[in-house]
Amino acid sequence: MNSKKQPIAPRRKTSFKVYMKRYWQLYALLSLPLLYLLIFKYVPMIYIQIAFKKYSIVESVWKLPLAKNYGFEYFIKAFKSKDFILALRNTVGLNLLDLVIGFPAPIIFALILNELCFKRFKKVVQTIAYMPHFLSWVIIYGLALQLFAPSTGFINMILNNLGMESVPFLNESRHWVATYAGLGVWQNFGWGSIVYLAAIAGISPELYEAASVDGAGRFKKMWHITLPGIKPTIVVLLVMNLGNILGSNFDRPFALQNNLVMDVANVISTYVYKVGIKGLQFSLTTAVGLFQSVVGVFFLLMANWISRKLGERGIW
Amino acid sequence: MKKKVLSILLAGAMVMSMAACGGDSGDSQSSAAASGSTGSSSSAAAGSSAADAGNATGELVDGKFAETRTITVEVYNRENDGGSDPTNNMYTEYIKQGMLEDHNVQVEFVSVPRWTEVEQINNLLAAGDAPDICVTYDYPTIQTYANMGGVLDLAPYLEDYKAELPNLWDWLGETNLYWDRDPETGTVWGIEAKLAVSNRINTFVRQDWLDALNMKAPTTKQEFEEMLIAFRDNADKLLGADADKMIPYSVSFDVGWRAATLIESFIDPAISDREFYVNGFDDRKLTQEGTKEAIRLLNKWYNDGLLWDDFALYGSGDSTEDDMMKAGYVGAFTHNWDYPFRNGEDSINASLQRIVGEDAAYVAIDCFEDKNGDYTKFVPGPIDRKIFFPSTNDEPLACMLYLDWISDPEHIEYLQIGDEGVTHNVLEDGAVETVAATGDAIQNSGMNIDYTITCNGLKLADAEKTAISRAHNYAGIDAAIVQAADVIANTDMRVGKNVNVGALSSEEGMGPVLSEKRDIAYDNAVIAPVADFDKVWDQGVQDYLNAGGQAIMDEREEKWVATYGDVDMLP
Repeated sequence: MNSKKQPIAPRRKTSFKVYMKRYWQLYALLSLPLLYLLIFKYVPMIYIQIAFKKYSIVESVWKLPLAKNYGFEYFIKAFKSKDFILALRNTVGLNLLDLVIGFPAPIIFALILNELCFKRFKKVVQTIAYMPHFLSWVIIYGLALQLFAPSTGFINMILNNLGMESVPFLNESRHWVATYAGLGVWQNFGWGSIVYLAAIAGISPELYEAASVDGAGRFKKMWHITLPGIKPTIVVLLVMNLGNILGSNFDRPFALQNNLVMDVANVISTYVYKVGIKGLQFSLTTAVGLFQSVVGVFFLLMANWISRKLGERGIW
Repeated sequence: MKKKVLSILLAGAMVMSMAACGGDSGDSQSSAAASGSTGSSSSAAAGSSAADAGNATGELVDGKFAETRTITVEVYNRENDGGSDPTNNMYTEYIKQGMLEDHNVQVEFVSVPRWTEVEQINNLLAAGDAPDICVTYDYPTIQTYANMGGVLDLAPYLEDYKAELPNLWDWLGETNLYWDRDPETGTVWGIEAKLAVSNRINTFVRQDWLDALNMKAPTTKQEFEEMLIAFRDNADKLLGADADKMIPYSVSFDVGWRAATLIESFIDPAISDREFYVNGFDDRKLTQEGTKEAIRLLNKWYNDGLLWDDFALYGSGDSTEDDMMKAGYVGAFTHNWDYPFRNGEDSINASLQRIVGEDAAYVAIDCFEDKNGDYTKFVPGPIDRKIFFPSTNDEPLACMLYLDWISDPEHIEYLQIGDEGVTHNVLEDGAVETVAATGDAIQNSGMNIDYTITCNGLKLADAEKTAISRAHNYAGIDAAIVQAADVIANTDMRVGKNVNVGALSSEEGMGPVLSEKRDIAYDNAVIAPVADFDKVWDQGVQDYLNAGGQAIMDEREEKWVATYGDVDMLP
């Protein structure tokens, strides 16, 4: 839109009218998503003040009394709570793991897929790889139980029949973390690869031809042409992922966790649900949520700054 | 030009639809605000009730409102296979019609999933969408909302309209109506439904397996363990090709409930009321003296391969374990005193007979002896679910009349046993025998407990008839088996007393958090290697105490002393 603005920029006063007259339909269309953001993302921010106040469901949020310690009572309480600290640790830990394992997976998959010669085979593989993305985590947990449960899981039954011990995929903390990460990769690598495949498709074929003439093999081409070609995409996605390092979706950990692995499985989002919504401690968990968002923004800004320093574009 | 018109139209349509949505949300917000304010004003009015009461009774003519009122009532949704819509079936029609005729009140039911009811009702309350009459098993939830001003005080209604509520007063009486009355302020945030039958838990075992192995029903822990070992070692004989599916003793993730008979047998049967109360916030008895030894035994059984390996992976409401019982893989389990008999055709025993064979059945046993050699079973007082009105309720009187209507002995009787020939037969001695119903007459909950919200357990208008009917109350189940289970559930029963020391601030909002801590402590202790048991158990309990359990115990102790002084036992 910026580029469209420039030609009429010099004549400021009359230009706005002319400009609006010409493009108002576009703005009419834009107003919808803006309204959505306003209603569902910005208006709720008014309620952030619950974090600093003593909450009551019947009082208006403006009339609530300030919490103790200049309103910071609940932040202090959260950081004194062992459960919150554990949830914080788990959130960062699991997200880092996701980043380390889950982030490269779609890139590698896209690169491999790109090298396939059989068009039809490629399409089939692609489609099958997308599928898990459309399963909800509740269903995935159901599948995981059928496959990995210690006595009734398919894989463990095979292991038992081969005379081996059951592997506690779901019921021992370390194994659970591996299962969690693995299922995450499985669910997302196909879908995540779409962006990279699109980026790869945008690389000029001439580059490959030139490289072939120079005698580059497949790996050389991949390394020197494909990867640099999708580097901006990788960086943007990495920045966005880093911004999420403290954020966590709710359904995945909630669906996958069980009582035996709660020491590693309780993350901030599930903690907020259990303590805040189930336990009615709204102020405490709003404080936690606010903290999470603030740190998230900080990470995002930092990652963006680093990517600019590295000479990439960043997201803004 | 065409393009332009089209785009205008499209944009217009989108803006309109948006405006419609916006208008909607605006509406609901303002109506929520409005009902909120009427709620608070009506609760304020209730505080100084005289004027209000005069007005409101003036509206009642022969117990009927001049204008039709509408109220919403919570009903549990158990999502049974083949069940009916809990908000719309033969029984809800009966209630709706009756209420309309007797009081000119229109009733709408709001279904709440049974197994996550506390979470759901929390969500509804927080959103201001809770039904006018709410039901929950969790009193602390009511207390928490009451402290925030979100619950109506029922005391003035109970007093001022006593004459209009004869059935409610008759059935629940002061004991249950005022069970939770604040000793200082006299407020009543919730009233307790009454247990017609106090039976709580039983342990069940496969009679046909005992017969097949020529064993007698165990009467001690030792014998029970030997029996489990025999089940395990004879899996081939008992299950044939399915031998690897054998589960001698099944517990679920909720160990404190599903091994309750075992746990209670390790508690001193002469425990003081005071100690029992101080440790009593958690009804799974995690911190009671003796529980640790019970779980140590369970831990040993787990490590000996006598328990279900995957028990902790299946959450609340999951039917996997029930399905295994029905399929015949489970040797013994502990549950509600009548659990295998519930649900007619779909009951565990009936399914078992269909799938495994005619003589397959679970029967109750009493096998966990306490230190005196008795079989003490701790049951709470005659209280069941808690009923309360959120402050968004602007028809408290109509709701009170509903509670009265639903407590009418005849209405309870009809809801429990339905029509003769359809849901029950009358036997020669006058006993009522429940038969499996089909279609619309199916009861989603045993004896429609979800509708008779002030009553749990068979209660016919005639007390004598009730007594002889109880064993015939389960469709398709041999009355002798039910009778035996009833006797065992009543053996050495110790009924809890009402300790009412007022609201405890440390308990506020802690229920769900501590329940989870408790389950984590239990589950991890059960699966720990035998050598690590002490460490794992102590760690789990410590975690529970740190998370708020200790603060509750301290406050309970303090309030006990403040209320009862140095007494250890209540009269």
